[in-house]
Amino acid sequence: MKLQLRPAWPALIALGTLYIYLAFAAPKFYRADNLRDLALANVAVLLVSTGMTLVIVLGEIDISVGATFAVCSIICGTFAKLGVPAILWPLVALAAGSILGATNGALVSFVKAPSIVVTLATMVTWRETLRWITNGAWIEGLPNTFQWFGLGQRRGEAVIVASAALLFGILWWTSRNLSAVRAIYATGSDAEAARLAGIPTKQLVLSVFVVMGALTGIAALLNAVRFSDVPANSGINLELKAIAAVVVGGTPITGGRGNLVGTLLGVMLLGSIGPALIFLGVSPYWEKAIQGGIILAGVLVDAISRWRGRRVEFA
Amino acid sequence: MPSAAGEDGGWSSRDLLVNTDVRHEVVLGVLIAFEIALFSITGRNFLSLDNSFECIRLSVEIGLLALALTPILITGGIDLSVGSMMGFCAVGFGSMWHDAHLPIGIAALLTLVLGLLGGALNAALISCLDVSPLIVTLGTYSLFRGMAEGITGGARSYSGFPGGFLFVGQGYLGGVLPTQTIIFVPAIAAFWLLLNRSIVGRALYAIGHSAEGARYAAVPVARRLGLVYLLSGLSSGIAAIVYVAHLGQAKSDAGTGYELMAITAVVLGGTSISGGTGTIPGTLMGLAAIVLLQNGLRLSAWPSELVGISTGLLLILTIVLQRVVGKRGDRLDRAMPGKEPRRSSVASLATKATIALVLVGLTGFCVHQRQLARILEPGHEPGKRRVTIGVMPKSKGDPYFISCRAGAEKAAADLDVDMIWDGPTEVDAAKQNDVVEGWITRHVDAISVSVANAASISTVLRKARSHGIKVVAWDADAKPDARDYFINQATTQAIGYTLLDEAARVMHEKGEFAIITGALTAANQNLWISFIEERMAKYPNMKLVSIRPSDDDRDKAFSEAQTISKVYPDVQVMIVISAPAVPGAAEAVKQSGRKDLLVIGLSLPNLCKPYVHDGEIEAVVLWNTENLGYLAVSAPAALARRTFPAGNGTFDAGRLGELQISGSEIILGAPMIFRKDNIDAFNF
Repeated sequence: MKLQLRPAWPALIALGTLYIYLAFAAPKFYRADNLRDLALANVAVLLVSTGMTLVIVLGEIDISVGATFAVCSIICGTFAKLGVPAILWPLVALAAGSILGATNGALVSFVKAPSIVVTLATMVTWRETLRWITNGAWIEGLPNTFQWFGLGQRRGEAVIVASAALLFGILWWTSRNLSAVRAIYATGSDAEAARLAGIPTKQLVLSVFVVMGALTGIAALLNAVRFSDVPANSGINLELKAIAAVVVGGTPITGGRGNLVGTLLGVMLLGSIGPALIFLGVSPYWEKAIQGGIILAGVLVDAISRWRGRRVEFA
Repeated sequence: MPSAAGEDGGWSSRDLLVNTDVRHEVVLGVLIAFEIALFSITGRNFLSLDNSFECIRLSVEIGLLALALTPILITGGIDLSVGSMMGFCAVGFGSMWHDAHLPIGIAALLTLVLGLLGGALNAALISCLDVSPLIVTLGTYSLFRGMAEGITGGARSYSGFPGGFLFVGQGYLGGVLPTQTIIFVPAIAAFWLLLNRSIVGRALYAIGHSAEGARYAAVPVARRLGLVYLLSGLSSGIAAIVYVAHLGQAKSDAGTGYELMAITAVVLGGTSISGGTGTIPGTLMGLAAIVLLQNGLRLSAWPSELVGISTGLLLILTIVLQRVVGKRGDRLDRAMPGKEPRRSSVASLATKATIALVLVGLTGFCVHQRQLARILEPGHEPGKRRVTIGVMPKSKGDPYFISCRAGAEKAAADLDVDMIWDGPTEVDAAKQNDVVEGWITRHVDAISVSVANAASISTVLRKARSHGIKVVAWDADAKPDARDYFINQATTQAIGYTLLDEAARVMHEKGEFAIITGALTAANQNLWISFIEERMAKYPNMKLVSIRPSDDDRDKAFSEAQTISKVYPDVQVMIVISAPAVPGAAEAVKQSGRKDLLVIGLSLPNLCKPYVHDGEIEAVVLWNTENLGYLAVSAPAALARRTFPAGNGTFDAGRLGELQISGSEIILGAPMIFRKDNIDAFNF
């Protein structure tokens, strides 16, 4: 099976350069415990970015994921505190995420409101409502079985990484082989043509937003169980991290194209940069500027390659 | 027949375009009228000349951004970088004036050039390289803010601007009209002329409808697109200067979150995010709707979270109404191309909007009535004057301030005063000013504020004092002449010294340690760090290897602590000085299984208890937050009732006992250190 990495090559090159440079400048970066911590820290971002890739391929965007993440974290924590058994938490997370996602999806597909405005509105609404209800208070005093699903640290870590990998694998495979998911690409490149070709575009848009919400809910749960209590304002800037990872991974924001392996590379690149800069001893004051620069560089490389491609076509 | 149908269709669609605008403005007009009606009932002094001018002042910075965003949205683009650009320009302006000693006028002009340059970067990437504006400006959103933080090291800010310059942001022309107006009105006129009376403006609408079509109609699409992003850079530069003059201070966090407010105003004003439609009057009405909502909720003393919630709901409601009515209009148009149906749909839209808004309003009114009922409960002694005190935390969501609030509410009940607890939902110096302005308009008796930024809030506090309002600063001080008293919970010096002394005790005065702070721009944290560094003179064998930000986010603190422990394996102590970050860092130590690494934190005992008992946290340093909150109400209450003792001496703080007054400071006591043996005795 071909990986189709062509659009993601800038991310691949950047990631390769960074990792080779780190191998010489900071070999400690490759210690097993560091790699494990990196993987765990990026599980949530990966799941959200996966959903975001589908949304962007569809030609839409969702900037409410950070707020959805916070709401789902609190809901999972509340249910855990009420004594709901661990086996039901994923269902709670899925349900909560899906409902929030469906709200976005319904407004986008049936009211035909632009997704950036809808999700801007829901982002503010969810966050402020959460703040109003919780008053910023954390969920503390959770049962001991909350952290790591009560499995202990090593097994808990394995479960978290494995479930994320499994979810990502399933979505990657379906995104290439399942006609229902291929329909997202069709709709993203030309919604009207897709509709005329018999794709129920409205339902499709709704379902993609539901999947986005559900993935965010699961991400929130997997992230929450790494700790012993749940803060009320998690997921700050998560939407920006996810969109950046998708774009750096070579998925154009215009929809219709994109692949999940690129997104994985994007998540790895942006997730490694922060810790790598600490390993390299760079001042934290410049981190944000460097991250912005990397996104722009990715965009630039993509634009130049497209531009050259166009010239070749004309010739 | 076909040609007739085509003509007909063309005619009605153009007509529809014009009509949607009108409809939309009718809806907004109804909305604004409704807001005014509601808030003039519930808000104190909402319907006054002073307040309307205050609203204008509040709307100028966001208004300038919204004006610039209108043509961008009309072309189907977006600019997320405007708020970050404001931060970048503000910092550039401050450093040109302060570090390069340029005259203020020149510095201001160069700042506009800086804005243009930033805009040019966006413009070049978007128009020449044909990259999606969302992505480009998402990148420059991080880039500009990051550069502002990089230049200032996050912490430096510029203040002490000359009075003539501050007049631009704080003064009144002829004693009534806010000075900003003379910048805002020409900007409105310029953008209106651009969109309505110029060929360029028509081209922008054409591009928004179809860039390809516009290109065939000989519109230089790339140049026109470049122009709107340049203008947006320029506008952000102007907004930055007005912002600096308004707050009296230039810092890298200027304009944080303004892009969302501005976009909301534009979209609320009927500009379609997909391009092609939109007007300047619409944007101004959208802006007015948002600003009135903020101001009205504040004057009604409703929780500030409602601002965000109702803005979000308003946005959704507007879009839904727009679509539903647009669709019906379309259908009716197609059915019978007469003009009758449109009129009726305007009417029906207006009715629907009114009904919806009346419902929302009634709910709000009921909530308010209940509050009123609670305040007006019988049983107050008639002789005692009932006072209202506005108490403001730095941020409402911070667990630290939540525990202060518990004490403040106790004091309000004990002393029988009306307390309004309000403030920004996240640390935001500009919003603190807005809240104080609201309280001045409400005529509260005393204001008690935890200052996020002394330079920026002091002007408005002085204004409050000149209106006869007693002002007390608590937790963090304002400029001494801007307040009557400062409640000193424990000096910043004592905190810094205690933290390092604790670390030294654990490390036997030698070895490496690291600091995890809140945001890199946080003023309190930077002061503590400076005192920690000062104290290091006493311990020559201790080395500070790294200062890392946590952005007051537990998960980020967790990752930072993990990485620090690997990069600097010899670090023995992490001093963590942000309340939510301490449990995050402690969890990282716990999961690493290291016993030779300890956390010393400035946090709330309740958040840290499990880790203190587990042994990851050696000590938590803090003062009694409930007592601090209690004093933040009881001291201003005594001042307002004129029972506060004059001069040095002691102040009877009720259940806190007698407290020392020294000069204009009320001292709460020395910082407390919570360890395994005593932490269970405290619950906050």
